[in-house]
Order: sequence, then C-alpha cells, then structure tokens
Amino acid sequence: MICCIRTPHPSLVAAWLETPALRGRPLILGGLAHERGSVTTASIQARTQGVVEGMSLNQAQQFAPDATFQPVDEEATARVRQSLLLTLHHFTPDVAAGEVPGCAFLRLDRLVLRWPDRAQLLVAISHALDVAIHVRPAIGVASSMFVSKIAAERATAGAPVAVEPEQTRAYLARLPIDVLPLDDDLREYLELLGLKTIGRLQAISRPAFRRQFGLKALDIYDLALGTDRRRLRAWRPAVRIEASEPLEPPVDNTEALQFIARALAEQVSASLLSQGLGTRAIRITLNQESAPALVVEARFAYPVTTAGELFDGIRPRLLRASITAPLERITLRAGRLEPAYVRQPGLLVRRDGFKESIADAVARLQEEYGPSLVQRAEVRRDAAPLPDHRILWKPA
Amino acid sequence: MSDHLQQAITVLQTRFGSAAPRPAAPPCPVRPSGIPELDALTGIGGWPVGRLSLLAGPRGSGKRTLAQRSIAVASREGPVAYIDFPSRLDPEFLNRFNARLDHLLVVRPKSLREGMASVRVLARAGVDMICIDLSRTGSAGLDAELPHLLHRAAEAECTLLLVYDADADDAIRYYASLILSFRRSAWVFRRNGDLEGLQVDATVVKNRLAPPGLKKQWIVPYPIP
Repeated sequence: MICCIRTPHPSLVAAWLETPALRGRPLILGGLAHERGSVTTASIQARTQGVVEGMSLNQAQQFAPDATFQPVDEEATARVRQSLLLTLHHFTPDVAAGEVPGCAFLRLDRLVLRWPDRAQLLVAISHALDVAIHVRPAIGVASSMFVSKIAAERATAGAPVAVEPEQTRAYLARLPIDVLPLDDDLREYLELLGLKTIGRLQAISRPAFRRQFGLKALDIYDLALGTDRRRLRAWRPAVRIEASEPLEPPVDNTEALQFIARALAEQVSASLLSQGLGTRAIRITLNQESAPALVVEARFAYPVTTAGELFDGIRPRLLRASITAPLERITLRAGRLEPAYVRQPGLLVRRDGFKESIADAVARLQEEYGPSLVQRAEVRRDAAPLPDHRILWKPA
Repeated sequence: MSDHLQQAITVLQTRFGSAAPRPAAPPCPVRPSGIPELDALTGIGGWPVGRLSLLAGPRGSGKRTLAQRSIAVASREGPVAYIDFPSRLDPEFLNRFNARLDHLLVVRPKSLREGMASVRVLARAGVDMICIDLSRTGSAGLDAELPHLLHRAAEAECTLLLVYDADADDAIRYYASLILSFRRSAWVFRRNGDLEGLQVDATVVKNRLAPPGLKKQWIVPYPIP
C-alpha cells in the first residue's frame, strides 16, 4: 500500500514557522503587492477570495485587499521540504517526493510488522509532522501512487482516507475524468463522447479504448482502473561527512600535519564505512594563522572508503600545498559520495566493475600534473595563416 | 575450415583440453586506419584492438602522417588521445581528414612517467585509440612501463599506436603485436617537374595476428591534401 502525505506548500509552511501570527489569515507568497510578479502560492483563506497560483500580484491584491504579501524565502522553503521528507524517512526509507510541492509518498508494506494497526501508524506520522513543521497533513492510503494522491486530496487533517485494493475501481468510478492527467485534446474528445466520469471510462473495454484513442492513451485507461505503473523513486537524505581538527599550537611541521591528516582520514573512513559509502573527492581545507585558507582537492578514480586509500590521495596534495604560515585547523570533507559496493573484485568481472568518465580522468590528470598536460586543439579558420594564430590550444 | 576438420578439432579439444589444436591467431577486433592499402597490409583489416602496434622508421618516412590520419579517422567514431612527446601534432592536418577535434585529447607530458600515467588513465576511462608519439631520446624506461600499459589497453579495448623514430629496442619489439617498418624510397615528381609526393615502403616486420613479411608501397602526397 502507498500512503500519500499532503501538506500546504512548503513556502507557506516556512512563512508560518517564521511568523505564527499569519496562520489562519489570507497570505499570498510571490512578492510584495506593488511588485511585478506572480503568485507562487496562497493560503486557503486567500484562495477562498479568488486568488490562484500564477495570477499577477496586482490582480491578487484586488481580489484579497486585506491579504499579507510576502516574497518566498527559498532557504526556509528548502529546509521545510527537507524536514518533511526526513521526518517521513524516520518511519521507512521507502519515501519519495511528489511532483506537487508539499506532497510525499511512503510505501507502507514493510511497516506491517512494526505497525500492525495502520490507523495508529497514520496518527504517528501526523503527530511527527506536527512536531517537525507544525502542520497536520492530509493523508490518503491506496494501492497505487495515483489513487493515494486522489484519496489525500479528499482527506482532511484529522481524517485520513483509505482505499482498499478491492474498492479502488468503485472509488474511482464516481470521480470526474478531470482527476486524470489528460491533455486538452483527449479531454475534449472524451467530453464530446459524453464520458464525464471515470466509471463511464471503465465501462469501455481495453481493446476498444486503444482502437479509439491510440496506444499512448492506454496509460490514462490504466490509471482510470487504478493501475499506476510509476515506481516510487526513493529519496535519500543528504549526507555530509567531514572531519576537522583545531591545531593548538599552530603547526608548521609537515610530519605532524601528515600525522593529523592520517587520523582525520581514519575518522572520515569510519563514517563512510558505517553508511556503506565511498568518496570520489576529498576536499582538504587548511586554515593558516595569518594568511588566507588553502583549499586542495584530491580526486579518486573510484569510490574510496579505506583510510589507507584516502591518505594515499591526501598525502601528496598536502606535501605540494603552498603553505605560507602555521596552520590553525585542518578539515577533510568527503564529496561525491557513492555506494561503496560498485567496486567489484577484478576476478569476478571484467575490469574492476567500474568505469571512470573521460572528464573525470582528465580532471585527475590535470590535478596531478598541471592543467597544461591534457589539451584540446581548435582550428580558427578566420585567423591569420600562421600556425600560432590559427591553432588555439586550451586545457581540456 | 571444413566441418569435418572443425569436428576433429572439437574432439581433440574435448579429449586433451582446450590447448590442443587451436587456431594460430584467434580473431581480433580491429579499428580501420583510414588507408585501405594499410588495412590490407596488416592482414586483419586495420589496427588490432587492445594491442600495441609499432610504427618504426627514420624521420621523414611517413609514419607520423599515417598515425595522425588513423587518429583522425578514429576520432569520428569516439574519443581518441595523442600523447605528443615531441610536440609535432598538427591539428590542421587532422582537420583535413575531417577529424572531430572535440573528440581529440592532446597530452603533452614532460616526462615518460607522466605520459604513461596519462595513457593508463585515459585507456581505462574509455578512450578508443591512443597514439604515443615518442621522441628518440625520451624512451628510457619504456620497457618497464609497457606491460602495465598493455594490460590496461587490453582490459579497456583501447588501440595503442606507438610512433618511434628509430629501430625499436628489443623490449618494445617483444610487446608489440604488429610492427610496421617504414622507409622513404624516392621523391615522386610529375611530368611538369612539380613534386607529387614521397614514395614510402612499408614492411610488416612482425605480426602476431596474421602472416608477417607483407610489403607495400604508397605515395604520401605533397603538399598534404
């Protein structure tokens, strides 16, 4: 079973978290009333006065003169979106962000053992979101993403709607065809034929539907029967793996620096191992006492996890770095994280189960031996007939 | 091969193992050089994939022209690299053969170590053909690098061409699957006295994939088209 969670637009939630007094009042986001621009989203109170998304702000003010206008706080919105998905991720890793902002999907199948009573689970989810973003969501449960989304649209904060698999067809039958993702032509065609509800659509046989509307429209027919072939694309929380060490007193000895870097590499390696990840780039930040910080990057051909391999990449960069003052802090940050298991033993598969892109290979060579090692040539036909003018060499 | 002979070989291989009678040279995938005469000369229809081909001969014998033309042809199919030790690559020449310069990576190493590391990394990353243009003086230590290089090229199915300005050392000759030796035989003039081109003799000195010893003559046109 799939559960669809619907909350108001994340930018609205962010605005409410910033100013709780705006709850329950008409609020329009997208810009100030006098600005040129359009409405990104509006609270339910503003919508009841006729404001819709995409309307110009000027027009929105005429519809809702007492509304509060605010620009969208992108950072806060991203935080709310992240918080929503992270809260759901605590229940199950089978979480996906929906296409509509503020909408998310969960697969409930693996939660049956821990939450045998589905009603309790839905209450727990609702409570967790209330704690995290101070919003009680509308929840729909059904056998597919499409049906659960429709159920959530018809649910309210305290009353989830659950559609059991055997009821799906009957549940959809009474709904208008507008709930289906129809293009204009197909909608017009269906209306001309007098097919205004999904039930009328379901009454047509599949071969007849295909004959009449073509192969492409069969997806719509399947949705009308409650079959949604889309896969739930799992969302993964962002991972930041970093190890840092203040150096007190400041260090100006390369031996000591290597020793500390090795210890940090072991910390990073332990974090990577615990999450089954490998890194393909380590960013080394060296904070100098009375000079600007140095940032050096070590790239790897494949996802590296062990401390030894990490340090093999870090050490030559440290020794080559042009350090001009004693160091106050050293930080290692793992970037380009990938699952560590992609690297297979060479005995089992051809090569080592892993391929580096040419752009990565070139970047690694240039980092190791200088940017002028690998170049590309360009012939300029309009230049003077001298080789130096006609051929332009530039780092690849 | 007739069916009866094939059956006999299969019976022997079943009884005595796969090392019993087998074809002298297993079929090898090839990349065309862009010159039909040269493809015929190799005996397999082009440069062998995953192996090293050596183009040896004195300066001015046309081997670099040939290698650059092969690179131009290969660049139309996919990424290629030219390891340019003596800095002699001419992109305008490649352009005349409709090379895709956006597919060409030119590596200009300062030492043999840098050059060989570049070949290994690029071969692994999926470059189709790599031409190593080696100067006469900078080849010390190449024999130690070649085994690693060939292993990588074979794994990555990358064609390696080595252009060498003199007769190659024994180690390089050992690792090469195909050795073409070039000699300049004559300048060719038209009746009106204009230079038509350079006549080049090419000999297959070694060939692990087809019978060696084939010879061919062709004219490298001047000025180069």
